[in-house]
Amino acid sequence: MPVFKTPFNGYAVKFSPFYEHRLAVATAQNFGILGNGRVHVLDLSPAGPISEFAAFDTADAVYDLSWSESHDSLLVAAVADGSVKLYDLSLPPPSNPVRSLHEHTREAHSADYNPVRRDSFITGSWDDTIKLWTIDRPTSVRTFKEHAYCVYSATWNPRHADVFASASGDCTVRIWDVREPGSTMILPAHEFEILSCDWNKYDDCVIATASVDKSIKVWDVRSFRVPLAVLNGHSYAVRKVKFSPHRGSFIASCSYDMTVCLWDYMVEDALIGRYDHHTEFAVGVDMSVLVEGLLASTGWDELVYVWQHGTDPRAP
Amino acid sequence: MATQSAAPPSPTEDKPQNPASEIVQPSVEDQNDTRTGASGGFSSTSVFVNSEPMREEQVQNAVKFLSHPKVKGSPVMYRRSFLERKGLTKEEIDEAFRRVPDPPQNVSNAQPAGTSQDGQVKPLSNVQPQVPTQIMQPSAAAPAGVISTLTRSRFHWSHALLAVGFLALSGAGTAVLFKKKRDLPRKPTQNQVCNKKQLLLQKTAAAAAADVARASQEMLLSKREEEKYFKELMNLIGMQVQEMKSMSNAIQKLEAMGNLSVCRPGTYWSNLHDYCLRGYAVLATRLVDTSVEARNTHGRTPLTEQDHQVSAKSSRQPNANGNVDFDSYSARSSPPPATVEPSAAPNPKSYMEIMAMVQRGEKPPNIREINDLPPNPNQPLPNPHSAPRAKPWEIGQTQTSYSQVLQSHESTYGLNSNLQDNGFVNQLNGDSSVPWWQKKNVRITEIENEDDLKRGSSGVLTNERPVQRSWVPPQPPPVAMPEAAAAIRQPKKTLSEKQVADDRLVADPSDAIDELQRITKISESGGVVDANGGSSGFSKRFSESGVVDTNGMSSGLYTSEIQEEQEAY
Repeated sequence: MPVFKTPFNGYAVKFSPFYEHRLAVATAQNFGILGNGRVHVLDLSPAGPISEFAAFDTADAVYDLSWSESHDSLLVAAVADGSVKLYDLSLPPPSNPVRSLHEHTREAHSADYNPVRRDSFITGSWDDTIKLWTIDRPTSVRTFKEHAYCVYSATWNPRHADVFASASGDCTVRIWDVREPGSTMILPAHEFEILSCDWNKYDDCVIATASVDKSIKVWDVRSFRVPLAVLNGHSYAVRKVKFSPHRGSFIASCSYDMTVCLWDYMVEDALIGRYDHHTEFAVGVDMSVLVEGLLASTGWDELVYVWQHGTDPRAP
Repeated sequence: MATQSAAPPSPTEDKPQNPASEIVQPSVEDQNDTRTGASGGFSSTSVFVNSEPMREEQVQNAVKFLSHPKVKGSPVMYRRSFLERKGLTKEEIDEAFRRVPDPPQNVSNAQPAGTSQDGQVKPLSNVQPQVPTQIMQPSAAAPAGVISTLTRSRFHWSHALLAVGFLALSGAGTAVLFKKKRDLPRKPTQNQVCNKKQLLLQKTAAAAAADVARASQEMLLSKREEEKYFKELMNLIGMQVQEMKSMSNAIQKLEAMGNLSVCRPGTYWSNLHDYCLRGYAVLATRLVDTSVEARNTHGRTPLTEQDHQVSAKSSRQPNANGNVDFDSYSARSSPPPATVEPSAAPNPKSYMEIMAMVQRGEKPPNIREINDLPPNPNQPLPNPHSAPRAKPWEIGQTQTSYSQVLQSHESTYGLNSNLQDNGFVNQLNGDSSVPWWQKKNVRITEIENEDDLKRGSSGVLTNERPVQRSWVPPQPPPVAMPEAAAAIRQPKKTLSEKQVADDRLVADPSDAIDELQRITKISESGGVVDANGGSSGFSKRFSESGVVDTNGMSSGLYTSEIQEEQEAY
């Protein structure tokens, strides 16, 4: 399985929804504390090694990125100086970025492109707000301000074009509808900060939340007082959680315990895979929409791994 | 079919599918209703809204919480956030906030009565005989008034104090009046009757006052308890602030210690053990003051990241419901590494070094000045090279005619319809070798190829009609209709109108085709489709409505990846 070494510490990895062999990695210098950032666009080659298609430097750390669902060459990056940058891979690096949207007053921590409408994206920031943008507009369309602390993650519902969820350090997950002025639901999902949330692609009312309390909880928003499942197994905070695009009950997660785990929340013994290839915090994980079972992960050990579920990421 | 008319803004996700005949008018009216019904109409049908009735008990607990003076001193946002964390819904929180300002008004109303009562009681001794009767009634009324206010907001502790005050006053008043009665000269019969009435009134007043006294006593007790909890809370906050300070000291010590290296298995656990032993066990995840403090430190506000580590360690959060656990707090100063409670993940040495540097005000050496602003902020956005590919979870939902046509279109390009990327993998498949990342799915890929070819041809055949209607090639970004984008984001009013208009366009011709395609798909996939995710009907509606984008993108439905449908289920 190929590995790519980034010069900076990895923060996020995302497969392209257009090209099976392409993925992007968000990295940050000095662990994201203080320093530059870089966005890498990588290509998998059939022979094995991962090559770099393009790289873009940023003044500040890049915390997250999201591929456009409408344009195969566009990439949205959430940068630690609060700006949101748009990159066009069809242009050479000196012409990039094509946009820099600076409205967040603190670090932009997450970016997610709308997979249904394909015309808009949301960014979550440590300034407690989530902003809705379209790529043709220089300013945000809406700002959602209700959380009492940093918003760590905001993700669109895979089927409902106007619904998204946000996970925050105020220990709640909020569900929003862009047509409504405020949040439509508040899930007090954990007793500690919630670092990530993701929707079940096959059941649009099910959402998974990952928290500093080392657990992942799966909720049905229709009866949100009690979780459907509580997935324990990580020994430190769970940094990111992602539902499989191919199997409705599979969840991939990565954690500060340096492992990437795969779960099936509908099964009694939920943990179905554990990969401990990273030697530092595993901070980003993604499952390919185009290739079933293909996983990618990155961490503070400056490595990006891409592997098939069931295989050893470190195998040559 | 009818689903198209029930466009996304109409919150009919969980309504059963309406028959096709009902298409347009009812949905328009529906949307009218929801429009006028505002959020109420929406929330009754959307599944993403809390439909629980308001829980009175929770509201009362919230009122208790909000009425506490210490809580009153804190910003509204934090009060709200606390209640949200406790699981109250927005409605319950709003209701509690609505109730809490009331008691102050009652207090101010009651007080003038109290003072007037005072004023009346004092000169009683000098007053004429007739006056006591008049005073009697106000005094009876006053306790009654107090009782009524008390029943309205039973648990308000300030009411307790006032009640006690009234009790005393009315008691004094009745005592004085009794004395007066005896001193009164012989009265006509009417007066005696009045006196009896007055006696009765006095008795009831006294009984009521006794009840009030009991209630107020209970309230005082509960209030004392709550105060105790709040005191604990405040203590905790103080302790945690201290912990934070000591932690930052210890970080520096630790860094000087130089024990931590990039974690290798051997040193990992010993470092972790050291870490824990040093008393880093417990800190709160977040506190009002410390968080603000943390976010104001310079550079990245590194403590925010530190918060992660810190908060990863906290054993519990203080909460005003009295679940503070002092014993566990103190006992956790040297826990074993694998505790139930979150514990700090050890950071690499270089991380600590950098943190320390930043805190000292030094800039790490390797940072460059980079200008990452767009060289041309008005750079036109590119035209998409490829059409958006359908998601695997959308495959089960019917893709409309667009997708079929596009797919057939693409297959005529001679690419393996698996991949659209400049023939990159084309070469590979031409070599009949599969890229390593697909090796697991070799079998599936081959099957998919066959199906694609099959489908390509069938697609062409079945889509004569819609082709002539409007097959739209991939559109550039919708600068053409910016107001439409705005309209989408507006409240349902404009949105629903536009959607309905668009839906009408799309509705009729594609219905029959949809059904045909759906059936085709189902048969080809061996009937697996419906197992994919339950509410395929609803999902279909929304993937289509995702298409009916006023921007004309119709992008949600381009698909050439029917193979995803074939995944092993």
